[in-house]
Amino acid sequence: MEFEELRKIWDAQNDQPLYAINEKAMYNLILSKKKQAHHITNISELLIIIVYFITGSFVLGRNLFDQSRNISMYLLSAWMLMTALFMLVNRTRRIKRTNQFDRSMSGDLDDAIAVAAYQVRISRIMLWNIVPIGALIVLGLWEGGKQIWIVIIVLLFFALSYYAGGWEHNIYKRKQRELEVLKKKLDSAG
Amino acid sequence: MTEKEQQQIFEDWLGQHKALIFKIVRAYTFTVMEQDDLFQEIIIQVWHSVPRFRSEASVITWLYRISLNTAIKWTKKERKHYPSETLEGVQHILQESRMQPDERLVWLYKEIYKLDEIDRSVTLLLLDGFSYKEMASILGITESNVGVKINRIKKQLITKSKKYDHYGI
Repeated sequence: MEFEELRKIWDAQNDQPLYAINEKAMYNLILSKKKQAHHITNISELLIIIVYFITGSFVLGRNLFDQSRNISMYLLSAWMLMTALFMLVNRTRRIKRTNQFDRSMSGDLDDAIAVAAYQVRISRIMLWNIVPIGALIVLGLWEGGKQIWIVIIVLLFFALSYYAGGWEHNIYKRKQRELEVLKKKLDSAG
Repeated sequence: MTEKEQQQIFEDWLGQHKALIFKIVRAYTFTVMEQDDLFQEIIIQVWHSVPRFRSEASVITWLYRISLNTAIKWTKKERKHYPSETLEGVQHILQESRMQPDERLVWLYKEIYKLDEIDRSVTLLLLDGFSYKEMASILGITESNVGVKINRIKKQLITKSKKYDHYGI
């Protein structure tokens, strides 16, 4: 058989697409992505609230107990407690917003995109939040008369945290973009 | 480019040329789970490519370039270890056409799948009538290299088609 005959067989498929897009399966995919987005957001919100609340309370309690005059540490505890409160308020607003989306394929996807966008925004805020916290801790250590190498190690630790936070932020951004593409695909299939 | 314009172009491309993407998905995957995964990956890359598209190349050439590059990268790096059998009860985004496929076409896809990633791309482009120059541009290899590959692939496919005459070829 010659190659031109193979090409004819190949060309014949142009009249009959190989696949059709299964909308039900796409809906299930959207639901699973939505669940995943909610789960990740839920866990990270709770972690931020718990960690910042406990750490802020501990630093404040320790300062009060020691009758410390280290202003930076008081500021640090206040900043951490404010961060926990900020996160709590945002979480409450997010949960309220979730109920506003209709329970259609498109509504579920809009919900998933909104959660992903929220996650991107929160991760960006938390990334920048490392800067004041790191600065206050370093100042506190400095005021407390700690040795310079301890201050340097702490600074390095925060630089590393900032880098890891940026990496995490990019993951959320990618997830958001993927969901947006899925939305376009859904719109173009409809 | 506004997002609305990007979406409009994306929808036009997908509406008119999805058969092209289907061919590549079919040629580069074995199981339905792989088909779903590669299809989604290609769709995402096509969406991102819209603002980069310049009218110097045709849309078909552009889509082939994006889709084949994605398929090659996916095969080399991102292909996950899917179970060889389809999981029961799992629904897939891509559903095979209900029409009974031409057995000769099934055979041809099987033979293409046996080739390495680059040769698969060359074969798809060759069967869709691209020139050596276009193939070289899409794949980023020299025209002479394309020529060598095509000669070898043609011989291989013709020889095998003779062996498999029970497929009706």
